[in-house]
Amino acid sequence: MPARAARRRWTRAAWRRLALVLLWLGHGAWVLVGPEAGRRWTHTADTLALPAQGAARQWEGWRARRRDDGRSLQDLQAENIRLASDLAALRLREAQEAPRLAEAEEALRVLGLRKLIPLELSAARVLFSTRPAAFGGLILDQGRDHGLVEDQGVLAPEGIVGRIWSVGPTQSKVLPADAPNASVAVMLIRSRATGVLQGLGASRAHIRYVSNQEVVQPGEAVLTSGLDRVFPRGLLVGHVVRVERGELELELTVQLAAPLDRVSTVLLLPPQPPLEAQQPFVQPEQPKPAGRKKGTP
Amino acid sequence: MRPLTPTTLRQHLLCAGGLVLVVLTAPFPSLQAVVHSALVLTLAPQPGAPLTGALWALAAGWTLELTLRLPPHLGGTAWADLTLVLIAGWTAARWPLDGPKDWLTRLGALTVLHVLLLHWMVRLAAGPHPWGWSWLWTLLSLPLWAWGAWRLLHPAAPTGRR
Repeated sequence: MPARAARRRWTRAAWRRLALVLLWLGHGAWVLVGPEAGRRWTHTADTLALPAQGAARQWEGWRARRRDDGRSLQDLQAENIRLASDLAALRLREAQEAPRLAEAEEALRVLGLRKLIPLELSAARVLFSTRPAAFGGLILDQGRDHGLVEDQGVLAPEGIVGRIWSVGPTQSKVLPADAPNASVAVMLIRSRATGVLQGLGASRAHIRYVSNQEVVQPGEAVLTSGLDRVFPRGLLVGHVVRVERGELELELTVQLAAPLDRVSTVLLLPPQPPLEAQQPFVQPEQPKPAGRKKGTP
Repeated sequence: MRPLTPTTLRQHLLCAGGLVLVVLTAPFPSLQAVVHSALVLTLAPQPGAPLTGALWALAAGWTLELTLRLPPHLGGTAWADLTLVLIAGWTAARWPLDGPKDWLTRLGALTVLHVLLLHWMVRLAAGPHPWGWSWLWTLLSLPLWAWGAWRLLHPAAPTGRR
């Protein structure tokens, strides 16, 4: 038995011989399969690699799409930022241009008013307003250097503003029509009743010396009567907002038409203007013509 | 008087040097073929250790083909070298050398056989392809490298001169 086991046991020389045989046979087999085997192996490897190549292609496509999407998103974000900056710049420019635009519009309206009134009017710019203060008014940018004198009427396109209270060398002060110490000769547009407008402040005034026999309704227009020789007849002053009947006269409250808080450009009437200078701002209601009879031309 | 067998370490060192020379002479194919044949036929065969010689021969064959980048299929040179080194080892064990003349005669026969096997097996592996004149230079320079290998392997052996 030990001899048989020894025979079965592989010696080191046997292993070496086996390695030699395997080396020789392996090389021989490798040589004999020739280059076609290599091509077949290459083809097999290519076939096996197809799924991986497809997955890699999908992955690359997904990355490319994601890159393109990211680039598009970045472009959109950049465009949004550019548009936002452009919008901000336009808004800033609009804000910068707004005063000039408003002034231009005001100038246009003043120019229109100037054409309506057949008098020698001059324009002036309101530098600032001291109306909130006691006995405050509007400061104009013209004075004696432009030939202004006291008690010249001051107009705005919406209506009268007041009169010149004092004149300096280069500036002048306007007493607005709603000042407590201001008075303007006015008349009501329907009844033609005359009175004196005295300021109450806050663009309001009341009319005195109108008989309580007159019929006045709220909303009725109030025009200048021209009796004070500051304003010619027919300039719009405001509208009646409240009517109360007193013992002797009506207590009429008027809302002035001119926006005294926002007025920036005014027209100056000449001193001592004529009584009739223009058509009134608000045309009196004309009675409707009676229907024509049939057969009449 | 038979020459002494070289020590294993010396033979391994010589084989390693030969392998380095195979790599370094790659720009000169004719010289590389001579070095390669000398390594396979003289330095690698070891009568008592055929596996070691076979491994050195395989290394020489694969190194030669890889340095030449022979397309399209490698392995023919290594297979021929393996076959030749086994034959050389078997002949050395079967018929021990008696002197340089035996050595030269046997190397001549082995070189011719090596050239033939090399051509045939490379043709099997890579298909028909043109051959240079390296085999001729190997045969012509046989006395030179055979004498050099003899001196390297058996420095104490007689040179054959009287």
